[in-house]
Order: sequence, then structure tokens, then C-alpha cells
Amino acid sequence: MKKILSLGLTAALLVTTLAGCGGGEQSSSETTAASAGTSAAAESNDGAGAPASSGDTVEITWWAFPTFAQDADQPAGTYEAEIVAAFETKNPDIKVKLETIDFTSGPEKITAAIEAGTVCDVLFDAPGRIISYAQNGKLVKLDDMFTDEYIKDVDNEALLNSCKSDDGSYYMYPISTAAFCMAVSRQALEAADAMDCINTEGDRTWTTAQFEEMLKKLSDAGFNGATVYCSGQGGDQGIRAFVTNLYDSQVTNDEVTEYTLNDEGGIKALTKIKEWVDAGYMLNGSAYNGGEDVDQFVAGNTAFTTLWSPGLASQRAETLKENEIEAIALPFPSEDGTPELEYLVNGFCVFDNGDAARAEASKKFIDFLCNDEEWGPKNVVRTSVFPVRQTMGDLYSGDAEMQFYANLTKYYSPYYNTIKGFAEMRTYWFPMLQAVLNGDSTPEDAVNDFVSKANQSIANAQ
Amino acid sequence: MKHSKINKIRMRETLVSYAFLAPALFFFCIFVLLPMIMGVVTSFFRYNMKGMTFIGLDNYINMFKDEVWQKSLVNTLILVVGSVPITVLFALFVAAMTYEKNPFTRSFFRCVFFLPVVTGTVAVTVVWKWIYDPLNGILNWLLKSMNIIEKNIMWTGDKKFALWAILIILITTSVGQPVILYIASLGNVPKDYVEAAQVDGANDFQVFWQIKWPSLLPTTLYIVVITTINSFQCFSLIQLLTSGGPNYRTTTIMYYLYENAFKRFEYGYANAMGVVLALIIGLISFVQFKALGSDVEY
Repeated sequence: MKKILSLGLTAALLVTTLAGCGGGEQSSSETTAASAGTSAAAESNDGAGAPASSGDTVEITWWAFPTFAQDADQPAGTYEAEIVAAFETKNPDIKVKLETIDFTSGPEKITAAIEAGTVCDVLFDAPGRIISYAQNGKLVKLDDMFTDEYIKDVDNEALLNSCKSDDGSYYMYPISTAAFCMAVSRQALEAADAMDCINTEGDRTWTTAQFEEMLKKLSDAGFNGATVYCSGQGGDQGIRAFVTNLYDSQVTNDEVTEYTLNDEGGIKALTKIKEWVDAGYMLNGSAYNGGEDVDQFVAGNTAFTTLWSPGLASQRAETLKENEIEAIALPFPSEDGTPELEYLVNGFCVFDNGDAARAEASKKFIDFLCNDEEWGPKNVVRTSVFPVRQTMGDLYSGDAEMQFYANLTKYYSPYYNTIKGFAEMRTYWFPMLQAVLNGDSTPEDAVNDFVSKANQSIANAQ
Repeated sequence: MKHSKINKIRMRETLVSYAFLAPALFFFCIFVLLPMIMGVVTSFFRYNMKGMTFIGLDNYINMFKDEVWQKSLVNTLILVVGSVPITVLFALFVAAMTYEKNPFTRSFFRCVFFLPVVTGTVAVTVVWKWIYDPLNGILNWLLKSMNIIEKNIMWTGDKKFALWAILIILITTSVGQPVILYIASLGNVPKDYVEAAQVDGANDFQVFWQIKWPSLLPTTLYIVVITTINSFQCFSLIQLLTSGGPNYRTTTIMYYLYENAFKRFEYGYANAMGVVLALIIGLISFVQFKALGSDVEY
């Protein structure tokens, strides 16, 4: 009797432990059941990351980075859940299971899920990562969504190219875009008598000489310049654009086949930045990542930041108001006063989970997200940037600041985030800046080493 | 006849024992043993998102030639060599000072030193990030107030300080468990032996060295091995605080492994690093067992 009891207890232990391990996805704190129907459908899939299509109902999973702005005090995923509910009402045969992911752990989660075969169907992200998944054969082609009418409507070759992989097919369906720029504090500049250093008219373009004069005035008045942030990895595009613009350098050649930052302008820019840091005009940012640089700016600890966008302006508006700071957005300064700006593109991709029905349902969902008469424009506004479709018109009518951001699209530079080995190149960028700022290498040696490694990353990814 | 009955009983007991072990064994095999084997196997492949190609020892050869890996190894060894002795000595000191105090005081110190252990790494790191902040950090403020420094120091971004800044956090988060273990262990030293030694004229140092220390050796062995392994696997502090910077000054093997696996998608190369790290830890643990284990007697 005792033995039977023991064996029974052991079996019960095994069963309960196994049960505890199962259904992980259902217990995920980040998972948001978009609707009652969604939850019910999800139960049938037993935590297998990607649900299957069954019978008349197809269930797809959507992983979303926090790109859509939420209403005040609403947690991440609230607005996305509203979209899902609206989509499911219009498409009762498709159920969408929503999961929000963050920029810190999200990329690792996607990588792990790809290898485990539990990745989502639809991902809301940007070309840098999406095209690298495409280059590795993980995505469904979206060529059929890029109709002639759509391409004509977008009418921006650089932007459309950013959605393509090297096989010429489209893998990302874009919804919105905006240029990265920088921002200065009006209060700091006025106190330092440096307002004459910037241009507040038209496209607000300015020169490197004006920027340097501003740095000196700010420093003389006791203000901290921005950090040359180079920790972590996020926001690297901002500081890269700052470096390339100072003396008209380029990260890659126009064909986006080779890194060229070690040209005369690139070396001069890095040398100058090192001088500014040594002189105390800018701060050595080896301990700061992009987000922290913005934090310092909105807290009033630094007089400007080299990482700004309409999205950031919207997200940080409340803090700026609390700290009584007016942020003036500006394009990056350049030697000739004509900037070449990097830009973000928000868009969707579909992972190839080996189920044609789910892939089709995913495309339908993406089409709803981007092109639905009601939700398309609403979704663009929630990204705080501009629609890629011209027919959507001016969604920020009467907003002069948004008009300024919209005008920056004409300064878009060649989009290199889709270059092969881009992910590997990013891991070399901040160590290179750190080597320069901490005096480990001369700017020339550091940037030559960076370009050599970055070009090798293209070869590695072949 | 009697002998075969005993054998039968033993067999049944053995079977029951294995049945009890089965759940743990099952999960050990699935979640520990199998991934370990897969890690070793895939370390011989060029394994990335595109697929797997057998490349023999290339990952290992490239790794030993990789300058960043070499830096990572040195940084990791500095952290281990720096943290293990300090953790052991500091924990022993705290335990020796507090184990005979009244229960309230003892609990207070146990709580103080164990708090960083039970607090999540992320929360601890965020607090340290504030402490080390170059512009608004309390450490710079304190040192400037005391006229020890004139200008703010960028603790986690300056090549002279970054690794030491990490080492300090590592020690504070490692010392809690050893303190608890030493307090418990010191409480178990037979009082008769201590009193007998004192009656024989032994001074405090002799009592500690001749009576208490031998009794503490099993605990010390455990603490040394566990702290060594934890220090070798230092990752989250680096990821959250410095991302390996400045210029790889705080990159550890674990962080570099992570960077290769999750940022460059070079899984095979990362697994090769994991295998070498496991071998290094195994070897050092073996030496520690040999050095400290032989004197463990009761």
C-alpha cells in the first residue's frame, strides 16, 4: 500500500510539474488577450508560440514593440488591443493574439523564438531587423501587397528599397516614416545668448561652424553639451548621423555596398568630436545609451541632444513641460548647411511559419493596420510620424512643428540599415566611439578598424 | 532463500528510489543535459539563422585568435580573482563579528547583507546606475563634498574605473549568501572545543585558526566554488550597466557569448565559448576541491 502510494505521489508530482511547464504562453505577463474570443482560441494551442489554423477560424500572433503611443496612463498594448478588436469584428474568421515586447529584451526573444520555431506571425518593427530576418529566409514575401497603385502612392524609391531584401522582394510593409534629428533647449540657448547660432526659420538647417559656436557659448555659460552617447546599442543611428553630417561624410557609399566612414570627413568629424569632449563642450558618453542621453536633455542636465524625432518629442512632451524646457528640433549641422538625415520606417513583416492560411491572414491583418480607411490614418498618428502613403494627406494639419518634421524627408540619405551584416556592424560602432573618446585609438585608426570590421561583416553575412 | 528475499527488497527499494528521482532526472536531462550536449555538438558548426555547416574546430581556433575574446577572458579572470577572496574574507569577517551577537543584531546584519541577493538584479543595477551616474550620481557628489575629487568621474564609462565599478557591485551581490552560511557554520562549531582550547591557554587567533577554521572548511569550499562559478558567469550586471564598454573593458566571456548569439546570430561560435567557459570553470572547481576538500574532516 505504501509503495503504491509512493508511486502514485511520484506520478502526481511528475504530472503536475509537466503541467506547470506547459502553457507558458498563456501565463506570460506580457500577453494581452485582445478579446474573449482570442483567449478561447488560444487555449487550443497549448503555448506553442505560433497558433495553428483550424477549421474556419485562423489564429495569428502579433508581436508589437511599443511604437504606438498609448492614451495617458494606459499600459502598453492597450491601443493595439483596440485595433485587434476592430479587425476581428470586420474579420470574424481571423483571431489575433497580441503580445507586446520591449526594445530591451524583445530582439533576443524574437531570435530565440525563431530558433525554437515559436515565433509570431506578424511583427511590428523596422527594416534593420526585419530585413536581416528576410536575408536569413525567415519571412514571407509581401510582393503581392506592393501593387502598382501602392508604389505610386508611396512614390519614394529609397523608402521602398528599405523594405526589400537583396533578392529584390519586399518583406516589410511600411506604415509611417520620419527623419531622425537633434534638439536644443531654448531656455539654455537664451541663457547662453546662443540663439543666434541656430536657424529657426524654414527647414532650420545650419552649419558645423554655427554648431561649434553654440557649443562654446553654452560651455562659457556653464551648460553641459550633449553626451556623445555610446553605451548599449539603441539610438546608434542618431549619433552616427551626427558624425557623418559634421563634415559631409557617409556611412556607406551611395550603392550601399561598402562602408566608407573612414573618408576624410569621417576622420575629421571624429577628431573634432574628441576635441569637443576634451574641451568639455560635449560629454564623454561612454556610460550613456541613447535613451539616457534623451533623459538628461529632458531633465535639463544637458542643453541639447543628438537623438530626437517627432515620436520622442511626443513621448517626452510631458517631462519637458514639467521641467519648463522648450525643445527646438533641428536637423544635424553640416559643413555646407545641407544635412543628410537618417530616418526611421515603421512597418510590418510576416514570419514564415509554414502555414499558408496564417500567412494570408497575416497579410490581411497588415493591410487593415495600414490601409483601413478609419484605422490606417489613426495608426499612423499613433506612431507620431508621417504616413508613407501620400493619399493619406496631412494628418497633422495646422501643426507647424509637425510640418517642420515633414519637410525633413527631402534630406533623406541612402538607407543602409538593410545592408548585409548590419546587425554585426552595429556591435562595432559604439566600441569604436568609446575607443576614440577614451583615447585608446586615434580617430583615424579607430574608424579604419571599424570600417574594416564592418566591411568584413558584409562578407560574413553572404 | 533468505538472501534472495533481501535482494528482492533491495531491488524494490532501488526502484522506488529511482521512481522518486525520475521527475528531477527527467527535467535535468531535458533542460540541462540535452542543451549541454547540443551546445557541444553545435560548437563544431557554423551555425546561424541560415543553418548549420560543419567546420570542425574552426570556431575554437577563431575564438582563441579573437582579440575581444582574449580581452573578455582577462576581464573575467580579473573579476573572479578580485571577487572570490574578498567575498570569502569579508563574509567570514562579518560572520565572525556578528554570530555571537543577540538574535536581533544577528538578524539585522543577515538582512542587510542578504538584501542585495534577494533583490532582483535589475533593481540592484538601476540603483547602482544612479550611484555611478557621472552627472547626478551620489558617489561623485559625496566624493566632491569631501574634497576627494574635483571633477565628476564617469565610473562605468572610464577605462580606468569601469571594471572596478563592476567588481564592487559583484562583491556586494555575492557576499550575502556566504555571510548567512558562515554565521550558521560558526554557530555549529562545538563550544566544548573552544572552551577546552581557551582553558589550555590558546589566544583568540589560535582558537580561530586551530579550532574554528577547520570546522569552517566545508562551508568555505562551498562558498569558494559557488562564488567562483557566479563570478565566471557575470552577465546581467554587464548587460545592464556597461554593455561591455568602454571599448570592451568590461566585456566578460558570458557577455561576449551573448553578443555573438543574440546580436550577431553566430550561435555556433557562441556555443564554442560556452564550452570553453564550462571547461575553465570545471578545471578551476576541480583544483579548488583538491586544495580545500582534502582537509575537510569531522
